[in-house]
Amino acid sequence: MTTTGIVLIEEHAQRVKPPRMLAVPFFFGNALGEPDDAEYQHKVLQATFDLLDRNEGPVLERLPENMVPDVLKQGSELEATEPETLDAADELTALRAYYEQWVNGHNGRTAVGLSGVAQRRFRGVVRFLESYLAGEDADLKERPEDTSVHQYVRYCVDDLKAFYYEARMAQRPDGADRDIHDWFWSKTSMGALVMSLAQKMRDDSDDDAKAVAYGIAR
Amino acid sequence: MPKLEVLSEIQRKSMLMWPCLEHDDTPWTPMAKPLSESKVALVTTAGLHVRGDKPFIATQEGGDTSFRVIPRSAGVNDIIQSHTSIGFDHTGIYRDLNVTFPIDRLQELVDRGKIGSLSDNYYSWMGALRDVSGIVEDSGPEVARRLKAEGVEVVLLTPT
Repeated sequence: MTTTGIVLIEEHAQRVKPPRMLAVPFFFGNALGEPDDAEYQHKVLQATFDLLDRNEGPVLERLPENMVPDVLKQGSELEATEPETLDAADELTALRAYYEQWVNGHNGRTAVGLSGVAQRRFRGVVRFLESYLAGEDADLKERPEDTSVHQYVRYCVDDLKAFYYEARMAQRPDGADRDIHDWFWSKTSMGALVMSLAQKMRDDSDDDAKAVAYGIAR
Repeated sequence: MPKLEVLSEIQRKSMLMWPCLEHDDTPWTPMAKPLSESKVALVTTAGLHVRGDKPFIATQEGGDTSFRVIPRSAGVNDIIQSHTSIGFDHTGIYRDLNVTFPIDRLQELVDRGKIGSLSDNYYSWMGALRDVSGIVEDSGPEVARRLKAEGVEVVLLTPT
């Protein structure tokens, strides 16, 4: 089989030496450049498939693009401000109409879905996470038997982040990705709750909890 | 512009010190026929899978090296992401799956006659792994066998 691909860190391809790679300047998460821009995505794909015509390799070429990516900061690097609503569950409820507006406006598509809990029951997910944070014997009936509580916490957090981000994108359709990211981590009670959960897991003596912390917040 | 120059110092050091496999040479398979006559498969390290499939998990031992099968018949509403890294911008993929996993773009290229056909199955791993030996020794060869069995001639690789 003949392979070609996109690489986000050119220096990694220099070390691995795959046969054909197109180095792109975009920030992590945006391999084809721009969401909702089919024409631009086709431009990136064309440049990637063009590498198939080369006669010898390794081939590592740059997409001829001078754009500078918008680099997102880690949540812990942002200055937290007092949230408008101190209760994360109430905050979530206030955002529900926007979340549903997002889903309805995208033919039902949503990134929510890892926890298996219907979004209308997400107040229960918040209470589960708050109980976990308090060191209580917390659990949800939707947790698969072969999934640890620690791993399931991450699924729940991912669902809540997706819920918030999609709600915010409906609320501020012209908002930049950076603004949504900064808003979640510096201005919401949910962001503060997630940051506290990550700290608790990092401090846990259980290796499974420590591993999960990496994927929750930094 | 090389991206390392615009990343924060923490991100830049992390990327430079990432434990990549390092090779002295490169396997090379030339195109057997034009892309317009070839069967193409999409393979990603974006940590994607079909809704309801087992999510990727975080581990202390270098990361989850298992793979997921994503049938080509799955639409954008059927695919979600459970990548355990938070070092990337999720909003792009929330807005448009194609920004990482270009299933609609590939179908458009078939419709335009640029690509011959698409495989029935696509494959997904999760990137940002500190130990890829599980892919090298186990899941990678398994996916290669599946792709060859399906008659795939060209593989497009995308990260997240």
